[in-house]
Amino acid sequence: MNEQQIAYRIKQYLNRGLELDAGKLVRLKAAREQALTRQRVESRIPILAWAGNVIGKSGGPSTLVPRVLLPMAVLILGLIAVNHWRDSQLAAEIEEIDAAVLTGDLPLDAYLDKGFDAWLKRSSY
Amino acid sequence: MAKALFVLTLWLCTSLSTLAATPPKKPPTWGELASEQQQILAPLSDDWDNFEPERKRRWIGIAKRYPNMKPDEQARVQRRMQAWAKLSPKERDAARARYKKMEKLSQERKEGLKEQWEEYNRLPEQERRKLGSTPRKPPTTVQKAKPPTSSPERPAPPEDVPAPGPAR
Repeated sequence: MNEQQIAYRIKQYLNRGLELDAGKLVRLKAAREQALTRQRVESRIPILAWAGNVIGKSGGPSTLVPRVLLPMAVLILGLIAVNHWRDSQLAAEIEEIDAAVLTGDLPLDAYLDKGFDAWLKRSSY
Repeated sequence: MAKALFVLTLWLCTSLSTLAATPPKKPPTWGELASEQQQILAPLSDDWDNFEPERKRRWIGIAKRYPNMKPDEQARVQRRMQAWAKLSPKERDAARARYKKMEKLSQERKEGLKEQWEEYNRLPEQERRKLGSTPRKPPTTVQKAKPPTSSPERPAPPEDVPAPGPAR
């Protein structure tokens, strides 16, 4: 029996009417109302619904640390590390250039003279 | 478990913020430099304490490379150090940019640059001015202490700029 057939059977039973006592009916109704209210709230404020999922659903505020704070700390650490690495790369590159300019065949003036730059450009730089 | 994680995170956050807030180790003053560094960087002794930390670090880096340089390179560093340090940050940046541009030239053209510089210096001053050249400052050759070189004493090589032109 596949899913559709089961659904068909259930529908038939329900059409025929269930003989449930008043207490069960009240509880069923209350459960339905509750489910509907929750669905409405979640769809209306998706961000809050997401936050509720993150914080509340499994274990309350105690899961805040592994789920939010720890990844955030790791992210910040990563950003700082990348920044530091980039700065040190830049500093190393400048040092490399300075060393080359200070030791190279060409005198400093050759790097400072705009005219030489233009002259080189003119002679197919 | 959750408590331990919370403490760990808190520790991570506080240590990160102090790491980000505190500048890296302060570079040494002139007096704090090792005597070998002082000898190499002697032309900078007067200005050293006014240098920004990153400039000090750069010069210390160059001093570290110094023993591995060829003798003629060491001599050039000694001759050029002070002039380079006296330039404005903008001038140094422009010079670095030109160096990077020249580095991109073919090997053959790079090797010819020195000759081209000599040729350029033989141009009449007026022509150089037209190209954008500005009169250059006379070179400063003040040296405070004898630099340590790995070669026996040699006669000082001729100054960098070969041209006898008046535009210096």
